This record gives sequence, structure tokens and C-alpha cells, in this order.
Amino acid sequence: MSRLTTVTRLRVTELARQPLTLVMLLALPPIVIEMYGVAVKSFPQLPTLGADPATVGRMTGTLFAVAFLAGLVGLFQVISARRGDERAAIAGFPRWELLATRLLTMVIIAVAGATVALAALSYNVDVATATLAFGFLVLAALVYGLIGVIVGTVVPQELEGSIVLVFMADIDNALSSGLFPIDASTTIPLVGDVAVTDFVPLYHPRELFVTAVLDGGVASGHLLPALGWVFGLLTIAFVAYGHTAGNGWFTSNGGSA
Amino acid sequence: MVDNTASNGDTDGSVVLEATDLEKTYQSRLPFVGRSVEVLTGADITLTEGEIVGIVGGNGSGKSTLMKILVGALQADAGRVTRDGAIGWCPQETLLYDRLTVAETFALFGEAYDLPDDRVVERRDDLADRLDFEQFLDYRVDHLSGGNRQKVNLAIALLHEPDLLLLDEPYTGFDWETYLAFWDLTDTLVENGTTIAIISHLISERERFDRILELEDGTLTEQSGTPQQTRDSAHDAQPTTDTDEAAAQEG
Repeated sequence: MSRLTTVTRLRVTELARQPLTLVMLLALPPIVIEMYGVAVKSFPQLPTLGADPATVGRMTGTLFAVAFLAGLVGLFQVISARRGDERAAIAGFPRWELLATRLLTMVIIAVAGATVALAALSYNVDVATATLAFGFLVLAALVYGLIGVIVGTVVPQELEGSIVLVFMADIDNALSSGLFPIDASTTIPLVGDVAVTDFVPLYHPRELFVTAVLDGGVASGHLLPALGWVFGLLTIAFVAYGHTAGNGWFTSNGGSA
Repeated sequence: MVDNTASNGDTDGSVVLEATDLEKTYQSRLPFVGRSVEVLTGADITLTEGEIVGIVGGNGSGKSTLMKILVGALQADAGRVTRDGAIGWCPQETLLYDRLTVAETFALFGEAYDLPDDRVVERRDDLADRLDFEQFLDYRVDHLSGGNRQKVNLAIALLHEPDLLLLDEPYTGFDWETYLAFWDLTDTLVENGTTIAIISHLISERERFDRILELEDGTLTEQSGTPQQTRDSAHDAQPTTDTDEAAAQEG
């Protein structure tokens, strides 16, 4: 068994031994999805919604539940184990391996969260192509998981980091929900006109997910921007995590600690 | 910037760690609030093969900062650290993963040290036997008492049989039997050529050390009256239980 596999297995074991994490993973998505559905049910049937308000609400709740849970896991993966990781790095683990095991753990949790959330959504909404919808949910989870890792690295305190993540996810979810049509743009010097939605991490994954649920296809215009978010955030996560490492990325103290 | 290097054997053969002119100041992160604290102002230390050195100093004198710089967990503002061989670090706080069991903790750090699985198990069982925590191998770290957590904290530093051990208040919370077992273990290690540096805010049994350095005002000075002389003079004397137990509790 490779070192990455062994350590990732131990990371998942650590998470699984926190009962509250498992309860959150299993119970929160169905609750959030139904609450969104009920809350948005009485919303006016605007032509831009693309489906009845309750369905739009449930899809929005699904994305929020999966993305925010992944963000929290990413955040606490970095913060809670920061000191243990510091010793492991001194003992000989290259920093990139430590981060890689954190990211792999986050992906495993994202897949589990997406499975639960999609099952909950399917209870009241006919999902046209479940495999595509599942894939795009995982994509949304990856985006927010990476945001959680970055926030946890830059703001390494549980309360403060959580506050940043809550505000980000809340604003993001509202702007990308489709409930409030946003076609505004802003002008950035040297860049030109940029759509406001380009600053909203969940916007492109949401468009992909909604299309997969309602039409069963791929909103191809959103695929590359969504992947761009993932790779951009991955780069930032590696740079931020590496910046906090005293010993550099690929070397350790040669087996100390 | 500190020059932080791992030697390839270019240094004197008996020197396992050499640090010169170490400086460290903690700056306030907020402007106009707080103040800078100058911790190290040119500390020098040289550790040679097979010696056991005590590093003492008052609260807040910078002992743990010095230890972190020596092991490479913290960057000094200036100075040079040269290490030769593998280092074992036992930090003052138990830097472990709370929700892993003791056995899983050994497996994880065994991967970090790049040890074969069977060697990890062999070393783990030996250390668990010597420090008396074999009955807790399947316990989660956060379910252990403070003393048993400290035993695991120390054992992780010893897992890969390092050439140099840097121990920061290693016997905090140990009971009397474990305190004695700790010193038996260090005797064996020193006989095998391991160098050991022990940081403590108070060292009452000077005869156990080859040298004692005091960290004061940011620099290290060797205390007068060598521990070897103390050891010779105390050869037949039995330390009182009260004194030794106090040492174990004080850490």
C-alpha cells in the first residue's frame, strides 16, 4: 500500500470517528434540500427560473448542502490537524504529500455528501441524468472544498475561518441560485468588462448541475470555466499551504522529529 | 535568514548538531498594538555524539523557541544550524492526531520515517513495553490520560532510532516508575551513541547530565560546577524520593 493511500485511509478514519461529522453528512443535506424547496415554493414563477420554484429551491439547496459541507471539511481538515501535520512534516513527510492526503480525504467526503444529497433530491425531483448531476455536484463540492482549504490556510482559526466561509457560501449561493437574475457586469482596468457571475465560484457548477437535472445534457459553455475554478483554486491552495511551510514543498529535514 | 542545513558529514565527526548566532524576535502582527519580544540574541550550541545535555531557563526564556529552531520547526531570524544524522523531536505539547489510536499513530509516523511496517511494529512494541503503555495501543489518543499521551509523544520521537534526540520537557506528567524507565531508556541510548538534549525549566538531578546550559537573556551559557563532578560526588548518595518525585512532576 502506498504512503498516500495509507495516510489518506487514516485521515478518513479520523473523520469517521467524529460522530457529529457523520450525522451532518447524512442528516443535513435532506433537511436543507427540503427547507429550500418549501421556502421557495411560493416564489413567483419567473420565466428565467427554468423550472417550478420548488424544484429550483431544491436544486439550490442540494448545491448549497454539498458545497458548504465540503467547504467545512476542507477548512477543518487544515485547521484541526495543523499542529499534527507540522510534526509529521518535520518527521519526514513532504508538505505536498500532506496536502494531497487532505485533498483526497476531502474528495472522498465530497463524493459521500453528493451521493446523499442527490438521493434526497431524487425523492421529489425527477433527475434527467443522475450520473452527470452527480459529477457536477462533486465538481461544486471540489470548488468549495478547495475554498475551505485556502480559508483554513490563510485564516487558521476555527471561528474566524468558519465565519469567512459562511459569508462566502451564503453570498455565493444567493447570487448563483438563479432566483435573482444577474446580468450585471463591471469594468476592471486593463481587463475590461467582466460579468459579476465570473466572481461567483458556484455559478458555473450550478449551471452544469441544473442542466443535467432538468435536461440531461451538459451546459458545455460552463464546463471549462468550472474546471478553471478548480485548477485556479488548486493552484492557490498549493501556494498558500506551501507558504506556511517552513521547510519547503518537496523536502523535509531528512527524517527528523 | 537562518542557514538551515543538513550536513553530509563535512563537520567534525563527533559533532551531531551545531548552531551559531541564533537570533529570534517575535514581532507583533498588528501595527501600533503589542510589542516585539526578543527571545534569542545570539545563542550558540554544539552537541557531540553520545552526550546528554540539559538546557534550563526560566519561564518565557525561549527554551521551546530554541528547540523548534534546532529541529527545523521554526525559522530563526539569523544564525546557522547544521545537523548531522536523523533527529528525534519530542515537543513540549503532544503534537499528535487526537482521533487516531496509538497503534495508528505509530503507523502514520512510521510512514513519515519511511520505516518498513514490521520494523514499526517491532519498535512500537518495544517502546510500549519499556514505557508501559502496551495496554493502550488500541486507545484513541484523545482518550488517554495526560501522562500516557506524553509517553506516546516521547515514543514517537524514538521510533526511528535517531542519532540526536531533542526533548522538550519530556517527563511532564510521568509517574515515578515511568520517570525511572525514561532515564533507563536514555542510559541505553547514550551507551549506543545517541546524543540527547533535554529542555526543562528545572533540573534537580544534575548528575544525570554531562553538561547543563542555561538560557538567559537570549544566550546560552554553561553552568559552572560540571555535572560530571556532581555525579562523582553523588556516586554513593541516594537522592530522596521527595526530590525525585518533585522532578518527575515538575517536568
